[in-house]
Amino acid sequence: MALLELDGLTKRYGGIVAVDRVTMRVEAGEVRAVIGPNGAGKTSLFHLITGVVKATEGQVRFAGEDVSSLPAHARCQLGMSRTFQITSLFPEMSARDNTRLAAQARDARRWLPLGGRAVFDGAAKRGDAALERLGLTHIAERPAGLLSHGDQRLLEVAMALAQQPRLLLLDEPTQGLSVEETAQAMEVLSTLFAAGDLTVLLVEHDMEVVFRLAQKITVLHRGATIADGDPDAVRADANVQSAYLGGLDEC
Amino acid sequence: MRMILAATAILALLPFGLPPYAMTLLTEALILGLFAMSLDLMAGYARLISFGHAAAYGFGAYACGNFLLHTSMPVPVAVLLAGVLGGIVAIGVGWICTQATGVSFSMLTLAYGQLLYAVAFKWTSVTGASDGLAGIPRNPGPFGVTWWSSKSGFYYLTLACLVGAFVFSQALVRSPFGAVLRGIRENEAKTLALGFNTRRYKIAIVAISYGLAGVAGALYAPFAGFANTELLFWLLSGQVLIMVIVGGTGTLIGPILGAAFFLYVQQKLSTYTDSWALFFGVIFIVFVLFLPEGIWGFVQQRFKRRVA
Repeated sequence: MALLELDGLTKRYGGIVAVDRVTMRVEAGEVRAVIGPNGAGKTSLFHLITGVVKATEGQVRFAGEDVSSLPAHARCQLGMSRTFQITSLFPEMSARDNTRLAAQARDARRWLPLGGRAVFDGAAKRGDAALERLGLTHIAERPAGLLSHGDQRLLEVAMALAQQPRLLLLDEPTQGLSVEETAQAMEVLSTLFAAGDLTVLLVEHDMEVVFRLAQKITVLHRGATIADGDPDAVRADANVQSAYLGGLDEC
Repeated sequence: MRMILAATAILALLPFGLPPYAMTLLTEALILGLFAMSLDLMAGYARLISFGHAAAYGFGAYACGNFLLHTSMPVPVAVLLAGVLGGIVAIGVGWICTQATGVSFSMLTLAYGQLLYAVAFKWTSVTGASDGLAGIPRNPGPFGVTWWSSKSGFYYLTLACLVGAFVFSQALVRSPFGAVLRGIRENEAKTLALGFNTRRYKIAIVAISYGLAGVAGALYAPFAGFANTELLFWLLSGQVLIMVIVGGTGTLIGPILGAAFFLYVQQKLSTYTDSWALFFGVIFIVFVLFLPEGIWGFVQQRFKRRVA
C-alpha cells in the first residue's frame, strides 16, 4: 500500500482548473518530485495534499486513510510535515527554539499549561538531532531571522524533520537561493535522502535539483499529469520536452 | 523567583509605613496592575490585542457586587467565583472574536465591551442601570473571619490575588502552552502548519486573560464599594492598553509597573489640571517613540548591558 495516494484530485477556482484529475502514488521510502513549468499547479497540488485548501473533487489518502476532509493541522498530526515555498519561520526565536517548537507539535502533551519540562526536553532532543542532520548545529543559538537565506531554507527542513514525519513535503527547497547556496543545499539534501529513512515529496521547477535528488518524477502541465516515472524515462518523454519547450502551450 | 519574593515582601511591609490615603492608592494600583497584567497575557504573548478589556473588568465587578449584595458569600469566594464566571463566559467571547484576526479581532472585542456597556444601562435589576451598584459590602467569612474588611486587610487580599495571578501567569508563559502562544505571535500560519490547532490556544488564552481581568474587577467592587458603567466603558479599555504598552508588553511585570505609573501620574497631574489626560497622552507618545519596550523593557536592557 502506498503511503500517499491521490485519486482524481481536482481544484477549480470558478472557471479556472488549477489541478486537473491528478492521480499519483508515493510509496514509503521513495523520494518523488513533482515538476512542471510555472503555473502548472504544483503549489496548488501541495495545498490540496496538506489540507491548506480543500479539493473540489477527488480524494487524498494517507496511509490508507481518507484525509480529504481533514484540516491542515489534523493532517499534520497524522505525520505530514511540510516546508513553504516562501520561507516561514519564527524569526525572533533561535534556530534551536524553532526546531523545538516544531518537535513539540508531535508531543501528546504539547498543550500543557504548567510545568512541561519533560515535553521541552524531549522536543529539544529531537530538534537538536534534526539540526545536526542538516549541519546547522553551529548556528543553533542564532535568531532564525538573522540567518542567511540558505540556512533559513535548511532550518525549515530541519523543523519538518524534527517532527519525525512519515511524509516530508518540500515546496521548492532551493527557491530564491544563489547558485552557490543551491549547490550547498543540494549537497545537504542528497546526503539526507541517501540515508533512506525518509519518504519525500518535493515540488521544484529547477530541473537540475530534481534530477539530482528524486528517484521518481511526476510532471504536471496545466494542472494535469503528463508523465510519471523514473528520471531517465521522464527526461526522454516527448510530452515533457514539448511542455518545457512551450509546444503544448500553442494548442 | 527570588525577585518575586523580595518584591512581595516589600509590598507586604508597606502598610506599616504608609498613610491611609497612600494605602488606598496602592491598593488601587495593585488592582489595576492585575488588570493590565491579564491583558498582557493575550496582547503581549499571543499578539491578540483586546480593545474591550474593560468588558472583563466590569463583568467581574458587577458579578462580585451582586454576590456580595445578595448573598452572604465572603469576599475572597465572591472574587474567585466572579473571575471563574468571567473566564467561562469569555470562552464564548473568544470563540466569536477569534473568527477574525488582527484589527478585526480587536474590533470584535471592542464590540463585546460596548455590548456589555449597553446592557448594563438597561438591565436595571442586576446592574442598577446608570446609578450602578452602590453600598457593596465586604462580607465576612465563617467563624467571624473579617480581616479583609479593614483597609490594610483588603490590601493584603489584593496583594495575594496579584502575586498568585503573577506566579500562575509566569508558569503559563514558560510552559509548552506558552511556547505555542509565542509561535502564534511570531507566525500563526506556521504554527498551524506545524500541527497546532491555533484557534483553541487563542480561545484558551482569551478565557484565562478575561478571567484574571474579572478577578481584578471583582476586587474593585468591594474596594470602592460600588460598580458602575464606567468600568465597562471603552475609555478604560484604552487606558489599560496604555498601561501595558508604557510598562512593557510581553513582560508581565511591566504592565503592573505601567498601571502604578499611570495611576501615580494621573493623581499628580489631576491636582493641577482637569485636562490631565492630555498630558498623559504626551507621555504616552514619548514612550512609543523613544521607549517602545516600555519601563520594564528599558530596565531589562540596562541590566543586561551592565552584566555583559
